[in-house]
Amino acid sequence: MSGAVNEPASEAAPVEAAPSSREERPEQEACAGRRVVLSTHQLTKDFKGLRAVDHLDLSVCEGDVFGFLGPNGAGKTTTIRMILGLIYPTHGHVQILDHRVPDQRLDALRHVGGFVDVPAFYDNMSARRNLRILGRMSGQVTEARIHEVLDMVGLSTRGDSRVGGYSHGMRQRLGIAQALIHRPALIILDEPTSGLDPQGMKDVRELVRELGRQGTTVFLSSHLLHEVEQVCNRAVIMDKGRVVVQGPVSELRPASMSIKFVTSDQPRAAEVLSRLLGAASIADSGPESLRVTAGDGLVPEMVRHLVAEGIDVLAVVPAVEQGLEDFFLQLTGASAEERAREGGAREERAREGRASGEDDQ
Amino acid sequence: MSHLRREIIKVLFQRRTYVGWAGLLAIPFIMTIALRLSTEQPSEGHGPPFFSSIASNGLFVPLAALAFLSFFLLPLVSAMTGGFVIAGEAETGTLKTLLTRPVSRSGVLLAKWFVAVLYVGVGLALVGVGGALAGWLLFGVQPLTTFSGGQLGIAEALWLTALAYAITLVGMACIVSLAVALSTLTDSSLTAAVGTLVIVLILQALGQFSYFDFLKPYLFTARFEDWTNLLRQPIPWRPIWEALLVYSGYIVVLVGLAVAAFRRKDILS
Repeated sequence: MSGAVNEPASEAAPVEAAPSSREERPEQEACAGRRVVLSTHQLTKDFKGLRAVDHLDLSVCEGDVFGFLGPNGAGKTTTIRMILGLIYPTHGHVQILDHRVPDQRLDALRHVGGFVDVPAFYDNMSARRNLRILGRMSGQVTEARIHEVLDMVGLSTRGDSRVGGYSHGMRQRLGIAQALIHRPALIILDEPTSGLDPQGMKDVRELVRELGRQGTTVFLSSHLLHEVEQVCNRAVIMDKGRVVVQGPVSELRPASMSIKFVTSDQPRAAEVLSRLLGAASIADSGPESLRVTAGDGLVPEMVRHLVAEGIDVLAVVPAVEQGLEDFFLQLTGASAEERAREGGAREERAREGRASGEDDQ
Repeated sequence: MSHLRREIIKVLFQRRTYVGWAGLLAIPFIMTIALRLSTEQPSEGHGPPFFSSIASNGLFVPLAALAFLSFFLLPLVSAMTGGFVIAGEAETGTLKTLLTRPVSRSGVLLAKWFVAVLYVGVGLALVGVGGALAGWLLFGVQPLTTFSGGQLGIAEALWLTALAYAITLVGMACIVSLAVALSTLTDSSLTAAVGTLVIVLILQALGQFSYFDFLKPYLFTARFEDWTNLLRQPIPWRPIWEALLVYSGYIVVLVGLAVAAFRRKDILS
């Protein structure tokens, strides 16, 4: 398995935690000599009866487009709020360049732009005036720069309209514009494509990629795994407040995981492959799907055996072509239904906590 | 200064700002027109303070309006204004937008508090100016007879009226401070405003019972009429200074608590 895998908090997590060589390395080494722009150190946040973030250690290197992945309720938003100094950690701290958060929040935030949750603005004012007000809080902002960022997010023709009349997608774009306005070293975007139409999603992803190409460090929270695959070079997968795995996105996929087979006779194919690889290798066998746990290198051998037994092989999906989604589900070991239930329960608990003024998520 | 400028711009861009001010400006006009058209003028000792004197001198209109408003409507406006300061921005989500910028939380809160007081101050000024104007137009003005039976020239009467409004503003600043403090503890501006009003009403009720007389010198709500001493000759300054001292004490403590709470507040909205 690739990537640095931490032990998931889930009791049901079936994937053996690999020795986390990357996790144990000093952060500078993880960044291969590049400057560490953002790191968290044993970052922990407890709400009433709920540990939302649990001793989180991660590091984002200069120039990274860093994916911050996790299902709803994983603790992503709480982590971002701590990074931005909106909430106080129960334990640990955040380091942004040379500044600790929360102790040196003001110095740290001069280098950061971003938003958390749905971007919010002063609805009675135009986008341009919102950007002027927010930009000036981070330093001098020229009208040319305001026009430039509005243009970057495709809002230049609506810059003088009241934000109150903006659609959700336009607000998301304006959120990105206000994050960029003061040219920060680190941009934090919390699910920036949420609520956008397909073209809008494409535009935002292209913008993030472009920022990365320009050397801006981007911290992108998402629960869309393919989005992270498309846009990010490094990522962390988080579940129940803890890091499950982090590393280069190219390595965040199983090297030896389930290979999917679709054949003309699935039960017989399962028998054949079981004889070849051992019964333990058959991860899942049913009329629709047959999954075998084996290295990709064994695929030709398996196909030859199946054909020799008179079984037509209609499709083979090797591990390398499976996405982060399969990997993520295998790592956390929860079905979508279980996850939805758990997420719902966590959100419910969080809402109760929030009602008492002490919760989040 | 940039905090103040930003907060003032935000207030000026809100429609409710002008609705509130327009409402306050309308009150002395409505009051004066109603008295002018009424066939029965209020008699001495009946109706709100100074009402019975308006017909004889329009200079009493701003004083009557102040006395009339300072027991409920001004506290209501102050509570709503202060209650919105933090909780209102939390409700709309702009608080997190603001605080993801490199700004000091204390600076943000103090600027918001100041602008809330300024808003109430402008509202009070509109009542005063509107009252004086309405009184002059509908009843005319002449030297003002004080409680002591002496007379004040028009200029001096206007100056003392302005001072009465300023003293009342400091009293209302106590209510704004209380609302701001509550506003840091909740994400609902309505809760903060209603909570403030409940506390103010309880304090006003306490001031009505002789059993609690020992508390009265320390209740800011029991000081809302102290400005009327300005209409005595010579002016007894002691109760006025005492009122300002009590008001200041409440303001310092409540704003201090608000700053402390806001600095440690988790922004979850």
